[in-house]
Amino acid sequence: MKLQILIHPRFRLKPLVLILLALMGIAFIIAMVRYASGIGSISNLNNSYPWGFWVSFDLYTGIAISSGAFIITALVYILELEQFRPLVRPTLLTGLLGYIMEVIALLVDLGHPERIWHYFIYQNFTSFLLVIGLYVMAYSAIMTLEFAPAIFERLNRKKLAGSIRRFMKPLVILGAVISTLHQGALGALLLIQPVKLYPIWWTPLLPVLFFISALAIGLAMILFESTLSSRYFEHRLEIHLLEKLSRSIPPVLGVYLAARFGQLAFSGNLKYLFAGGILSLLFWAEILLGAALPLVLFSIKKVRQSPSGLFLGAIAVLLGMILNRFNVSWFAVLHSDPLTYLPAFMGIVKYFPSLPEVLLSVGIFSAGILAFGLAVKYLPVFDAEEHREEG
Amino acid sequence: MPEIKHKAFLFDATRCIDCRACMVACSVENKIPMNKTRIWVAGIGLKGEFPNLERDTMVYHCMHCNEPDCLSACPVGAYSKRADGPVLYDSKKCIGCRYCMNACPFGVPHFDWDNGLVDGAFIDKCTLCTQRIDIGLEPACVATCPSGALMFGEREDLLSYAHDRLAAQPARYVNHVYGETENGGASYFILSHVPFKDLGLPELPSSPVKDVSEKIMRFTLPSAVGLGVVLTGLAAGVHVINQKKAAAKMVEAAGSPTEEEK
Repeated sequence: MKLQILIHPRFRLKPLVLILLALMGIAFIIAMVRYASGIGSISNLNNSYPWGFWVSFDLYTGIAISSGAFIITALVYILELEQFRPLVRPTLLTGLLGYIMEVIALLVDLGHPERIWHYFIYQNFTSFLLVIGLYVMAYSAIMTLEFAPAIFERLNRKKLAGSIRRFMKPLVILGAVISTLHQGALGALLLIQPVKLYPIWWTPLLPVLFFISALAIGLAMILFESTLSSRYFEHRLEIHLLEKLSRSIPPVLGVYLAARFGQLAFSGNLKYLFAGGILSLLFWAEILLGAALPLVLFSIKKVRQSPSGLFLGAIAVLLGMILNRFNVSWFAVLHSDPLTYLPAFMGIVKYFPSLPEVLLSVGIFSAGILAFGLAVKYLPVFDAEEHREEG
Repeated sequence: MPEIKHKAFLFDATRCIDCRACMVACSVENKIPMNKTRIWVAGIGLKGEFPNLERDTMVYHCMHCNEPDCLSACPVGAYSKRADGPVLYDSKKCIGCRYCMNACPFGVPHFDWDNGLVDGAFIDKCTLCTQRIDIGLEPACVATCPSGALMFGEREDLLSYAHDRLAAQPARYVNHVYGETENGGASYFILSHVPFKDLGLPELPSSPVKDVSEKIMRFTLPSAVGLGVVLTGLAAGVHVINQKKAAAKMVEAAGSPTEEEK
């Protein structure tokens, strides 16, 4: 039985657009100040904490919530589960925008954004940051191609759209490989800090754990985004599809929990789970909220079949797993700190993001939401032609 | 560990008098602006009660690791290790990502936080005064040290000298040369009368912190190829099975009416 539910929007869209535009304007001004007088002038980043909120939010969170794209394209094009095709374009759009937002944030965070082309001429292949940069560029290009048929259809260039569709399968396979490596590499990026990252989080398994949790985040993001956009863009919620999709979340989270606790037990680090004060608390928060609770929720059929159940379960996964990304890349990174003994003029040793720092990310995120809205309005995202043809 | 023939420092915390002449000499020699420094004298504060007061200091700059983590981490290869010891940084390649600052377990590389695009924000760190050692001089900090707390020489010579000092006055020192094995061996040795932790030095294993990262990196290409092959095979397999199914259905539909049609 195909159950389709139409939920009417609660808010009018117009004021939201104005707010988003205002936030983007603020972020633009902040970015200009940064280019004129340095990263220190707008952020609280310092020599002890060279990476902070931007890396945790724009890089780690932004890329993680984009992982739905490779999951859904793989389901449809590799496993030929045609039923999921209606989810392909909105999910691809989310992923593509996530990557673009991350690139924009990086152009502010990097000391020399004008030298980004150095990635092609001075390559050091022991650096996970190099391969991450290359993955971002490659996968953004692939997602653009994967999404391009929507644009060409709108422009009535059917031939062009068709010729890209012919290469969809190899494109999707290449994209899935790069995306998998990219999600894993984000975990591997922290491997170089065995003495700085708290033992609960530092493990050679980081890339594997990152990949498994990216699967959960991607699936949850599809549920979250579909529910929200069905409300705001007034199209039908494909709840039977989301129900099917959400069935795969408990096994993914089960494997994740087993790997996580297995690793901790194997490395003898279980003792830190109760001994680390606030860090132990953060661990339990991310595990209970992001893995244990949704594992239970999505195992219940009634929850999976109700729109609000799916929505709440997805929010639990997202909040918990995003907390995990913040933990590994910021909260649990304890910089051994010779600077504590510095002469006073060398400055601050603690880190908490400044208001402009947060507002910059908020502004970029607003641009992403606005771009999503515009794309949905002007491009065949929810009512793809190929989908319609199959009826 | 194989013998490495290159230059190194020896710092003896018991001899440091906290005059900070090394900081001044370094900044003058390398033309470092007033708001920055490549070398720090860490004052650990007063200990004990009057009149038995004690105050420890630590001179801190790049450790010039034998296996530098900054070099491993830098995505654009801005770091290099010279055969005679110095770990060098090339500002022309740097993109300002600051991953080296995360990688360095000693927190040595520093960044120009207050420079915009025009001035250029770069990393700064000790260069081992290559312009001086190339013409046979000692680094500026060593040349200026009035109490002999800082010394400069061949790594192996300094190491055996440090061990001689430990043997000669065991009561004076903690029995360890910091930097001999730490992080795969460094080129800045430290002798101390207080635990090294109290001087702000991290406890490090004898393998460099980059080890696991570099080992995992070797899995990248094999996993890419493996995953590509598996996914291609899967896609082909699923496609063939689906086509067979579709063909079977067609035959069935053509042959006899299916249950649905009844």
